[in-house]
Amino acid sequence: MSTISPTAKGINSGAGSMSNSTPTMNTTTYQPVPFSKPRGPLSQVAMVVIPPLVVFALFLVLYTWVRSGLEPHRQFLMPSGSELWHNAFALPEIRYELLTRALTTIGIALTGLAVSIPIGILLAVIMFRAMILERALFPNIVAMQSIPTLAIIPLIQTALGFGMLPKVLIVAKFTLFAIPITLLLGLKSVDRGIIDLFRLQGARWHTILFKACFPSAAPSLFAGLRIAASLAVISAIVSELFFLAGRGGLGQMIINSKIDFKYEQMYAGLITATLLSVSVYIIFTWLGNRFFAGWHESGAPQT
Amino acid sequence: MTVSAGAPEPAAMEDTRPAALTFDKVSMRFPDGTQAIGEVSLTIRQGEFVSIVGPSGCGKSTLLKIASGLFPQTTGTVTVDRSHLGYTFQDATLLPWRKVLGNVELLMELRGYPKEERRRIALEQISLVGLDGFANHYPKRLSGGMRMRASLARSLSLNPTVFMFDEPFGALDEITRERLNDELLSLYMRKGFTGLFITHSISEAVYLSSKVIVMSRRPGTILNVYDIPFGFPRSPELRYDPVFTELCGEISVSLREATEGGA
Ligand SMILES: Nc1ncnc2c1ncn2[C@@H]1O[C@H](COP(=O)(O)OP(=O)(O)OP(=O)(O)O)[C@@H](O)[C@H]1O
Ligand SMILES: [Mg+2]
Repeated sequence: MSTISPTAKGINSGAGSMSNSTPTMNTTTYQPVPFSKPRGPLSQVAMVVIPPLVVFALFLVLYTWVRSGLEPHRQFLMPSGSELWHNAFALPEIRYELLTRALTTIGIALTGLAVSIPIGILLAVIMFRAMILERALFPNIVAMQSIPTLAIIPLIQTALGFGMLPKVLIVAKFTLFAIPITLLLGLKSVDRGIIDLFRLQGARWHTILFKACFPSAAPSLFAGLRIAASLAVISAIVSELFFLAGRGGLGQMIINSKIDFKYEQMYAGLITATLLSVSVYIIFTWLGNRFFAGWHESGAPQT
Repeated sequence: MTVSAGAPEPAAMEDTRPAALTFDKVSMRFPDGTQAIGEVSLTIRQGEFVSIVGPSGCGKSTLLKIASGLFPQTTGTVTVDRSHLGYTFQDATLLPWRKVLGNVELLMELRGYPKEERRRIALEQISLVGLDGFANHYPKRLSGGMRMRASLARSLSLNPTVFMFDEPFGALDEITRERLNDELLSLYMRKGFTGLFITHSISEAVYLSSKVIVMSRRPGTILNVYDIPFGFPRSPELRYDPVFTELCGEISVSLREATEGGA
């Protein structure tokens, strides 16, 4: 071992006689790497928007390819872009219908969230309050989540009729799960030291909850809200599929167009529903980023 | 409780000062059966600065938590004024969602100080610990040393009469630590609080303190008490004083015995 010399020339000179405990040294010279220049606002937006669009374009290519493989008499199943435009999006009455029905659907979705978010937060706080309450509630929340909603819809219909209420409840059931789970995890992950700090000042439980636990848990709550938000539109549409009486939202339109063999309109409804879902998700993400940009890792702009 | 600012009295006068913190035969056993503190009796007088060194896991933090009321002791009594208690933790424990100013205001907020007063005192403390210009920074953007300063400012805001430190500078580099030691000493001189300081650094303990306590292995008991004969203020050169070095050596031997010897 004493033959090792730190100079670059001598380092391998005795390699042959040395035991294999000394690995060969291959030095590399590393050049400085400049930080990437801060982007202008326009190119920042482009960086967010373009990559998903590229993937989406690839998906369209795939769609076209699959469509071209269909027998001609089955191609109505996958309308082309121009068919979609001429038979749906270009028609003012269809556009108007899409808009009003989208408003109905988003109304159901948001009302459902307005039910599930407070209940979810309340459940998390109750479970956080005492271990015994968590033990009591948590398994039941999981159990409720695993009840197949579709299977109990007939029951809901019988019990609650065909108004707004059953749809809202279906949305609430779909979106509830993510909220107490993520919030409880966040509440429980608060730094012990911070709690001690509050306790040293004789702070009450609710002071600790509002000034320490909630802010600390807010990023995980928002993760849950994002999941819930993206489920809300989907579940609103699913709920409509089973409640066709009266003037409904996009879900009803999708079913009706299928019954009438207006596949372009059905696709238009699907596309609008997807756009709605994505926008709700984006809004919640944006809100979260705004709140946590300053202090939380998840809110930091990516470099 | 009033404390005259400035240098504490020399050791010979110590007994006349009223006690600021008294442990009387305090022991502590955790619910899981871990005996953390054996039996500790200790009196810290007003204006004293006492450091505790001891093997890792011997119950030093537990002792501070008992003194501050975070843990109850199992037997014995603690006598202390908890209404003006300062406490800094091993890590800065700043609230990451609050800027430095909001963090320094926190304890006053919890105590119900009016807003303007909170603001004024917080800015004073921020300036006192040398964080001018960082009041509006989130903790994420501060260095470890700066976070510790913010944490000190937060504790100072309540103008504590008894100030407890749980290894506050343990995670910092030597130079920063020595700088902060000097700043802590000047705060001590200026505010005249009673200090109880936990550290793993013997020289830090000797440098800061009027008394150094060596604790035994768990369950922690007081093994040795060293009076530090230097007055205040102290200057960094003190660290090269032969008496200082000798004291450090002596304490080091005692600490090694505490660590290796039978429990
Ligand atoms: N909540 C707890 N329950 C059970 N045992 C505990 C608990 N907290 C601490 N202990 C035990 O009590 C003993 C003393 O812990 P303490 O944190 O006071 O040590 P310490 O002297 O501060 O150590 P260090 O120098 O490493 O910080 C340790 O052996 C630890 O395992
Ligand atoms: Mg400790």
